[in-house]
Amino acid sequence: MNQEITREETIINKTKSNFPDFVKDAKIDRHLRLTITFDKDHLLEIAKWMREELGLDHLKGVAGIDFPTHKKLEVLYFLGSFSKPELQNLIVTLKAELPRDNPSIASAVSIWQSAHFHERETFEMFGVKFEGHPDLRKLLTLDNWEGPPPMLKDIKFPEIGQR
Amino acid sequence: MTSNPPTSNLTISKTDDSSTLDVSVGPQHPGSGHVRLLMRVDGDYIVSIDPEIGYVHRGCEKIAEYRNYVSNIPHLERPCIIDAIHLNWAYVLPVEELQRITVPPRGRYIATIAAEMNRIMSHLYWLAINAGVFSGHTTIFMWAFGDRDLFIELAEWLTGARLTYSFLPPGGPRRDLPSGFETKLTKLLNYFEKRLVEYDRIFFSNPLVIARAKGVGVLKREDAIKLGVTGPVLRGSGVEYDVRKIEPYGAYADLNFKIPTFQEGDSYARFLVRFEEMKQSISIIRQALEKIPKGPIARKAPLVAPEGEAVGRVESSRGEYTVMVMGDNSDKPYRVKIMNGSFRNLIALPYLIRNVHVADMPIIYGSLDYWPVEADR
Repeated sequence: MNQEITREETIINKTKSNFPDFVKDAKIDRHLRLTITFDKDHLLEIAKWMREELGLDHLKGVAGIDFPTHKKLEVLYFLGSFSKPELQNLIVTLKAELPRDNPSIASAVSIWQSAHFHERETFEMFGVKFEGHPDLRKLLTLDNWEGPPPMLKDIKFPEIGQR
Repeated sequence: MTSNPPTSNLTISKTDDSSTLDVSVGPQHPGSGHVRLLMRVDGDYIVSIDPEIGYVHRGCEKIAEYRNYVSNIPHLERPCIIDAIHLNWAYVLPVEELQRITVPPRGRYIATIAAEMNRIMSHLYWLAINAGVFSGHTTIFMWAFGDRDLFIELAEWLTGARLTYSFLPPGGPRRDLPSGFETKLTKLLNYFEKRLVEYDRIFFSNPLVIARAKGVGVLKREDAIKLGVTGPVLRGSGVEYDVRKIEPYGAYADLNFKIPTFQEGDSYARFLVRFEEMKQSISIIRQALEKIPKGPIARKAPLVAPEGEAVGRVESSRGEYTVMVMGDNSDKPYRVKIMNGSFRNLIALPYLIRNVHVADMPIIYGSLDYWPVEADR
């Protein structure tokens, strides 16, 4: 157990020392879970380093979270590893904060091909523009859906219930 | 990987290039669910394909923000009803982590038994429809569906429902094993093990099936890692990756099992991965029935979850099923993010279904065990 915690600390320390200017926060949530918050303008540098130096070659998903009271959106990248057995049980969450109006961030498709559909979904559901995505268009909603991005918190669906 | 955005809603439409045509497969149920595959064909060859999904999108993640933690259980297992235990479990693991409750050992064993029964049922459904019907093999369709029903009947006895079990609320399973369940299940497993030999004879070793599936839709190991596919698709390409082994949940840490992997990466290898997984599931259930401890099955869980994020994952029948739940001190989640096997494997469709015959498309599609409702959520 102790040995594994050291491994998680090693990743945190390495990330902090490699990117002292961009990484705002890096913490161990619990055994096997890490969250690294970084400056949104430097996604590609961190992502490339994560894949090539750390071996986190698998992007599990891209999530958006809306915080209307703080006027911000968070974009989360869930990372894991396929090819390095010793890293397979880790889930590293990369987190970036975006402004709520006109949110945009670089596309990670050039780093992880699996970002293709995940970014299309987040673009559609939260309106986040992924700069440099090869084919950024709607994915899940109906062709005639013309409302704002549906997953934003101020889009209410009273027919589903109250929140 | 760029794709062709659909230019028209017609079934067959012209393209800019006079040698190709756009042919639409679906969205009316092309065999397994509502998905539209827009194929650009040059004669009998598929040049490229654009999967257009979302026909069964219901906004599960949005609805989950409006429901309390317990009402979310029946709701969030609906995307893949043939694999309900795994979807249920993947959502409950992070909720339990937020609420800081642990399931008693007997509860974990019961959940494991139910999950492995569910894996067999899900793989039998795949064998019947996605492998059997798509390759024109009607015998295996009847056999697998018939045998699947025997498992469904036992699952109904255990949980009270045939498919949508809602069996694992936070804290542990709803019911203990009924008396006599273990004997019935052991008997069924003995029967099913003999049936698997016959499945092998009539389907997996059938020269016609091998001729259609072997060497078709090859996904190399490096490409599987690069594309980020998961589950049997990944293991069919030679990557040994299974959440049950790497981050054991339930009772898997106490049980002995192998992760079937094949190096070939073709459709036939993906067939065999699922076939071998059913054998492993039989062995897992037998061990779990033998080792199951006595004691309480569940603990009481609070209705509210504190602030914070938790990520949990299980190995569902279609691959790693990861769920992020964010609590905000209320009885409803602030955000639920589902990262499932079908949506992650979607990227393999445009990658594999190109430069192949039109007739190979159903086999490749079937070998991925893509479940549109799970992907669309």
